[in-house]
Amino acid sequence: MTKHFDTGVGGGSGDGKSRDEAETGIYERPAAGKFTERLGSLADAFEMYKSEGRSLSVSFENDRLNEIRQGESYGISIRAVKQGKIGFSYSSKPDEIDHVAQSAVRMAPWGKPYDYQFAPKAESAHTREPDAACGELSVEHMVELCDKVKDTIKAIDPEALVDAGINGGVSTTRIATSRGQDCREEDSGFSYFVSARISEEGNFLSVYRARGASRVIDDAEILAKAREAAEEFKMARTLLPFGKGKYRVLFAPQTVADLLLPIAVGVNGMNIARKTSRFVDALNEQVFDPRISLEDDPFHPDSPAGAVYDGEGVPAQKRPIVERGVLKGFVHTLSTAQKCGHAPTGNGQRSVSSQPAPGLHSVVMAPGNAELADMLRDTEDGLCISQMLGTFTSNFLAGQVSGNISLGYAVKEGRCAGRVKNCALNVNSFDVLKGQIVAISRQREWVGNSYLPWVLLDGIGISAR
Amino acid sequence: MKEQLLELARKSGADFCEIRVEDSTQTSINYQGPELENVQESHMYGGNVRVAVNGTWGFVTFNNPDELERRVSEAVRNARAASARSTAKSVLAQVNPVHAEVKLALKSDPRKVSLDEKVRLFGDYNQRMLGHPGVTSTNLRYFDKYSRIRYANSEGTWTDTEAIDMGMGASALARKNGTTARGSASQGGRDNFDLFRGMEAEMDKAARTAVEGADAPVVEGGTYTVVCDPNLAGVFVHEAFGHLSEGDNVAEDPRMQEVLKLGRRFGEDYLNIYDTGLDVGLRGHLPFDDEGVPTEKTWLIRNGVLVGRLHSRETAGRMGEKPTGNARAISYKYPPIPRMRNTCIANGPHGSLEDLIKDIKLGIYAIDSAGGQTNGELFTFTAGEAFMIRDGKLAERIRDVTLGGNVFDTLRNITHVAGDYNVHDSSGGCGKAGQMPLPVSHGSPHIRIKDVVIGGR
Repeated sequence: MTKHFDTGVGGGSGDGKSRDEAETGIYERPAAGKFTERLGSLADAFEMYKSEGRSLSVSFENDRLNEIRQGESYGISIRAVKQGKIGFSYSSKPDEIDHVAQSAVRMAPWGKPYDYQFAPKAESAHTREPDAACGELSVEHMVELCDKVKDTIKAIDPEALVDAGINGGVSTTRIATSRGQDCREEDSGFSYFVSARISEEGNFLSVYRARGASRVIDDAEILAKAREAAEEFKMARTLLPFGKGKYRVLFAPQTVADLLLPIAVGVNGMNIARKTSRFVDALNEQVFDPRISLEDDPFHPDSPAGAVYDGEGVPAQKRPIVERGVLKGFVHTLSTAQKCGHAPTGNGQRSVSSQPAPGLHSVVMAPGNAELADMLRDTEDGLCISQMLGTFTSNFLAGQVSGNISLGYAVKEGRCAGRVKNCALNVNSFDVLKGQIVAISRQREWVGNSYLPWVLLDGIGISAR
Repeated sequence: MKEQLLELARKSGADFCEIRVEDSTQTSINYQGPELENVQESHMYGGNVRVAVNGTWGFVTFNNPDELERRVSEAVRNARAASARSTAKSVLAQVNPVHAEVKLALKSDPRKVSLDEKVRLFGDYNQRMLGHPGVTSTNLRYFDKYSRIRYANSEGTWTDTEAIDMGMGASALARKNGTTARGSASQGGRDNFDLFRGMEAEMDKAARTAVEGADAPVVEGGTYTVVCDPNLAGVFVHEAFGHLSEGDNVAEDPRMQEVLKLGRRFGEDYLNIYDTGLDVGLRGHLPFDDEGVPTEKTWLIRNGVLVGRLHSRETAGRMGEKPTGNARAISYKYPPIPRMRNTCIANGPHGSLEDLIKDIKLGIYAIDSAGGQTNGELFTFTAGEAFMIRDGKLAERIRDVTLGGNVFDTLRNITHVAGDYNVHDSSGGCGKAGQMPLPVSHGSPHIRIKDVVIGGR
């Protein structure tokens, strides 16, 4: 079921302490310094990952206040090496640090070989200032803002049912390794979700806007996005017929994200090491249209997924992935980098309860030179796709992106004129992003952790009933 | 702990208060390609307090049990602050308070199988897939989780529930001429580790499916008659109808109540759909839900007609219907919301797979699922494996078959329901409102649907 608002910026805790108190570490008994010394005597090498956080969220459902959620999260995990193998253990119980260490050592005989090295002491050249305000949101203000969102949407279409959510939180992560790395990163997060919805016979419609950031987003943006969602909602209540065939299709940033998923999977170090990616031998080859450039930018000030260090304590980097259509980089953990004989890239992604896996921090796609309004005109009698359903089940390794078009609009006279239904898309991203691009917009928007433009493609097959 | 939790819940001062404390231990094993990528032991400990004040929920999670009393006050304070301007009432359907202890009743306990044996068993499966010519890589994940959940509410309900959940998903990948195809095998359950033994034939099949798939053509997009195997039909009923039946879609939406009016016809007489928490051993088995309500078998469609839906106490209360024991949360980090258990299409009158395909001139036989999604009205899911049906017979293998459609049309378009019901658990789970994965099951006989949109070239 698609409910789009997920609370919990890095989990989050609600102990009501100030950040300073939280930093001192209410659970830091025994002292971490002494603890790492003890861990050093138990294991041949180790990495400790600890995170604490708290969050607060307000949710509106069906036009009314539904829930105030306050979360606290605490977790510690340890990777311990014994006789050349890595054991891993995790706990969310605050007083179990020794138990976790012993358990990790006990698991080691079955673990994977320690054929790389945990992060060495290395300080990032970058810094990030968390926004303390994310941890000090007022319930009353959040409720009032959700009320305004409701009024804004209702003023445009009184029949819309309004859902909305606002979430903020702060967290601290610390990673210490036996090779001397000891980094602590403080993070803050804020996100909103606004939606206009109706479930009418023959037309279930939900139009939403959402964005996350590492600092508090202005009320004005949230209300402007509520207005935008309501206007799109109003337009989408008109249904237009659409037959199967090959069309010009304008992909909104939300669905450009779908088109990029095969690339994210293809450059993932795990799939390079396992040789399941078609990009294994394609570094420095022209694999896409020269207008495609993708960068992994963990330092982008507007990214909700900024990071100075990755999940293994390796300094994060801003790196090209695709430059003017040429494949430039893979994303690696320490382990996959070692396997491939590549340099580490600082792309170990994890939660405290899991081992790191390679992943992009924040994909920033270069803008094109087209105006969105011109692109809409160039989509005449084609389709604009704003939302897809179920694309995650596609065969990304093969480049396939397929699913039902949950929000698609027929384009007439240079604008989205009404919603088309019962249409499905099945494209191969590797093909369409190489040979079928008509234009890329100057305008970009944040979609999750990615900053993406609109992309107009030609000759896209649409199945319809 | 029992008296402490009951007392704290009783004196919270809210319209309603419940407290959940959860303690669980999980063992996970993951092979990727030839390597044992991860062996992990996790301990999850935490709890939550949920209170209702003037129709607004205050929900607070915690990891440190010493702070429980403060958490109750915070939940009440938040809900009060938020609901200050509200004249709404908290509405929860009445249930009789229960006092229950649920102990494990296992056929074969995963905790008594040594880690060494598990690593060897699943390692052998993984090697077996890798040994097939053409298989380029594999992924195998196994987990078993023991949990104990203690629950108390302000009405005096107390449950102390132990449970085991187990799952395994194995996939083989084959890459040929730039194309990658997958074959998979799975197992899951709550009471019998022995189910995970002796799966060599399934591993061989996963490997063969991958290798053959890499050679198969991509399906030609269009509208087809599709026959779904029990597993895919189960995913279909889960995605296409189960989610729609969840009470939170309906309870406060008058238009949706019109669309989903009890008594409305949704399919032919032979279409019968239910959701049950009573199937012992399945991952969807659930003695009590996460509001302490005993679960049951809930009919959703009988003889083609809508007869019920899946409720939490709140959604049942708002609609004046009976709670069905469907309020579930994946962990203490989330509040319970209406969710499925084991969702099924019951056996029908149309025989077997052969009977379903014998008069199809051109169609698709879709087997297993690589996942699916719905927005209530539209759904999408991808078949794990698929074949063309030509002149009443299974023909060539095809790949990348994604089925999509409108829920209401598709239910009406189920023209055949066979009599070969089957249910088979996997390691996956259901996701909703950020809560993923929730252990659920789904079962069905083979079904035949006309006019299904298949996304293709």
